[in-house]
Amino acid sequence: MARKWKIAIGILAVAVLIGLISLRSLHRRMVRLAETQAAEERARHEVLAAPISTPTDVTAKARIFWAAGPDQIAPVEIELPLSADPVQRSRQLLHALIVSPPTPGQRTIPADTELLAFYILPDGTAVADFSDALSTETPSGILSEEMAVNSIAGTLASNVPGLRRLKILIHGQEVETLAGNVDLTGFFDLNSAPQQASAAAR
Amino acid sequence: MSRQCENAMRSHTLTFHHDGSRPSGARCGVSAILLAVRNLLRVLALAAGASILASQAVGQEAPPVEPAPQQAPAPAPSPSGPVIVLDPAHGGTDTGARGEGGMVEKDIVLQIARTVRAELDRQGFRVLMTRNDDSNLSYDDRAAVANAYRDAIFISLHVSSTGTVGTVRAYYDQFDTPIPPGVVTASAQPKSPQTAGLTAWEDAQRPYAGASHRLADLVQIEVAERFSGSPDTSAGAAVRALRSVAAPAIAIELSSVAAPNLNSLTGSAAPLAGAIERAIAASRASSSGAR
Repeated sequence: MARKWKIAIGILAVAVLIGLISLRSLHRRMVRLAETQAAEERARHEVLAAPISTPTDVTAKARIFWAAGPDQIAPVEIELPLSADPVQRSRQLLHALIVSPPTPGQRTIPADTELLAFYILPDGTAVADFSDALSTETPSGILSEEMAVNSIAGTLASNVPGLRRLKILIHGQEVETLAGNVDLTGFFDLNSAPQQASAAAR
Repeated sequence: MSRQCENAMRSHTLTFHHDGSRPSGARCGVSAILLAVRNLLRVLALAAGASILASQAVGQEAPPVEPAPQQAPAPAPSPSGPVIVLDPAHGGTDTGARGEGGMVEKDIVLQIARTVRAELDRQGFRVLMTRNDDSNLSYDDRAAVANAYRDAIFISLHVSSTGTVGTVRAYYDQFDTPIPPGVVTASAQPKSPQTAGLTAWEDAQRPYAGASHRLADLVQIEVAERFSGSPDTSAGAAVRALRSVAAPAIAIELSSVAAPNLNSLTGSAAPLAGAIERAIAASRASSSGAR
């Protein structure tokens, strides 16, 4: 074999070796970055939206609906301090839904979303007023918007007795759609909201 | 102007010297400029005429959006079946779902709708589109296209941001609000909205909820056979695009803008057309059987 070929093969082998080594370190860096992002997200929410505590708080198991794959949601049981007052209880649950998804991939509500207000009317209608981020940062699409709405409805229906239906407002206003598809001018029936073990995003 | 100068200009041999002087005196130079300006104006006029003709030709290829019911011609009897109204979602400044590779829902669904329309045309269906360009119609304008016909089927086409790539879902409109008094329920199923008296525009879909649900189920069965991983049953959702349609209406959403390339999405159009065609045929057969 000619000398120049030997040199070429040698250079190629060294290049492959360097590539393999840098690939491993690149993978490690990606994992670290994902962990940092999740931690940063949690820290930001701790600063922006402090946990809601009330005198009647009792730590109990709550069923929070997060994404379980690309096209369905499912409840996850977590322990939360929950108030006896249904309005405060609902605020605590929605706060957990927004702030504490087990992994970033399970998020159904954009991280920057804030629950601005929450009311319960005498007829059992829950009114949840979210910041603009819910509308502007939810990915457009029937599936993604349904997953967002169903995770809110399912979380409330599973943990707050007496609620009948849900109205979603954005920054205090009724809007036509969540992100271009799902109608927010009506009410969402909490009696038929996903409460069982697994719920496909309709 | 001297004949020599005129001839030189006609034969395009009039040139300027490197030092800027003209070849045959100041008069000839002024005339040359005037003639050049005249020629330039002629060229511009010809170009403008050509562009007008070209735009008219393009306009014939891509006709404007179907007219609203107020301007629509009176619906003719349809011996060949229902009018199928294809609604490519979004448009204009409303891009819909956006992929990381720059794909946007509004463009993809327009391409898919055009292919589906061609396929259904070939099968003998009467097909209309709510938009055939990048215009952004209101939900009500889209519904109005279908509402102009007594026997229409409205199909809104979407591409999602999320979901398992390559799967397809059919949705029917799900009303969650209590039914106000005076509004006809789904079980009553009037043959047309007119026979049931006045129906609020925003509740126009309510009388057709059952028919839409059945059609969505039939479409979902067909797409589940063609697009592996798709659910077996359709889903109810509060889809705004369907709410004001006074006809059986469904939304079909392909997953997703995260597909590796545009062709993998637009390539879904032909099998999708096949699924729609078979579902409509099955729906018509079951309707006539029920009568």
